[in-house]
Amino acid sequence: MSLLSNTTVLLGKELRTEFRSRELLTTTVVFILIVIVLFSFTFEPTAEESRRFGSGLLWLAFLFAASLMLQSCFVREQNNDTLSALRLSVADPFAIFLAKLAANTLFLLLTELLLLPIFAVMYNVPVLPVLHWLVLVFFLGSLGISVAGTALSAISAQARMRELLLPLLLLPLLTPILVASTEVTAALFDRSPYVQWKGIGFLVVFDLVFLTALWLFGEYLLEE
Amino acid sequence: MKKNVLGAIAVVLLLGAAAYASFFIAPTDAKQGLIYRILYLHVASAWTGLTAFFISFLANLLYVWRRQLRWDALGVSAAEVGLVFTTVVLVTGPIWAHPVWGIWWTWDARLTSTFVLWLLYVAYLLLRTLVEEPDRRALLSALFGIFAFLDVPLVFGSIRWWRTQHPQPVVMGEPGSGLDPTMLRVLLFSWVAMLGLMTLLLWQRYRLEVMRGEFEIVRREAEAS
Amino acid sequence: MKNLDSVFAAYMAGWAIFFVFYLTVARRTSALREDIERLKNSLNRGK
Repeated sequence: MSLLSNTTVLLGKELRTEFRSRELLTTTVVFILIVIVLFSFTFEPTAEESRRFGSGLLWLAFLFAASLMLQSCFVREQNNDTLSALRLSVADPFAIFLAKLAANTLFLLLTELLLLPIFAVMYNVPVLPVLHWLVLVFFLGSLGISVAGTALSAISAQARMRELLLPLLLLPLLTPILVASTEVTAALFDRSPYVQWKGIGFLVVFDLVFLTALWLFGEYLLEE
Repeated sequence: MKKNVLGAIAVVLLLGAAAYASFFIAPTDAKQGLIYRILYLHVASAWTGLTAFFISFLANLLYVWRRQLRWDALGVSAAEVGLVFTTVVLVTGPIWAHPVWGIWWTWDARLTSTFVLWLLYVAYLLLRTLVEEPDRRALLSALFGIFAFLDVPLVFGSIRWWRTQHPQPVVMGEPGSGLDPTMLRVLLFSWVAMLGLMTLLLWQRYRLEVMRGEFEIVRREAEAS
Repeated sequence: MKNLDSVFAAYMAGWAIFFVFYLTVARRTSALREDIERLKNSLNRGK
């Protein structure tokens, strides 16, 4: 149970740090908004096309935003030299990762839900009837992005050119999330919306695989 | 030294035999005629590339466990060799596609997945160039290598499940389904020959990496003194 | 015998890629051997 309590304490720290300034959230929201608007210049967003391409564009925007947002995850600790203090404060280093990935998932989910109504209005896609399913797929997709992203952020923080390196490592790794999430979301945006359970299952599997990998190897990511 | 030359000759002979089999033993395909014989090079390279990446994955695990730099050397060597075979797959794919369909690239499941695979391991190599210290570089790239390989079945699975629903030219056909038994035997033999080539290239690259590592250690000590 | 040139191109491209890799490794190995020689000489001279 100590893992859970450690994680909760650290999660509280992560959330408090962010909500004090909210700079990460606001910049991420604005970034996704810019991407959505820019994409609209690249094709004629008629109703049919929006339904077909909309989900893809949405998830691409989420991926790009996440790969920027996750930069600061471990660099922040480096700048203030707080990582060793963090490691000393917990028995299980996995708690540090759990806290960070929970926070990242939360931030991502928050930005996605904030942008959903804007996207629905701009691209004329009805989201209210399927809202709860959308929240589910957003959550599962964001969880996958966060698990992989937090792990890779720990890696890139220790290398040069980390701003470019993180997207370079993360984006190919996350193609399964992109494919599956886009498909499930597209099915929900369809004229007669339906739930693609295959996709949901796949996302769960992805999340479990990488959560397990992070649990097994996380401590090595934080080695001095 | 003699063992190396012998090994190289054996591999060349094996490859020659496989090429002969591809052209003269394997039967003619009813639909595609001569061009389908690229399959023996294309698919065998794909399987060999994956084998090399698997070796790299095992080496990565061993490094994280044992922290001996020779596992790092094996890891990067296998990744590079795997990348070479994967490049061959990506090059022969369009050469096969163009006469058959008139287009150079198809977003067919296997080719697309192979492209992502290629990008993953290019990222692995790029990561290594961005970390100076040998032990840290070994650890970080081993960890990324592990994540990358765990991702491979997910990449192939997701693209196969959802990207093959769209109507697209079936360029390669399904090499597993309805493959003539003789074709299958020639394919397997080609794969064995490719594995021989992989071993040869892997051994050369591994030796280079081990030598380089030792040279670096001596050089640093010499500079320090 | 149509498409013979494509089959030929594919096999040539494949072998070229393998060969280039092999040559690159061989070249780097001999360059490294030279560096080792030079290092050995400079260490011996230093002694």
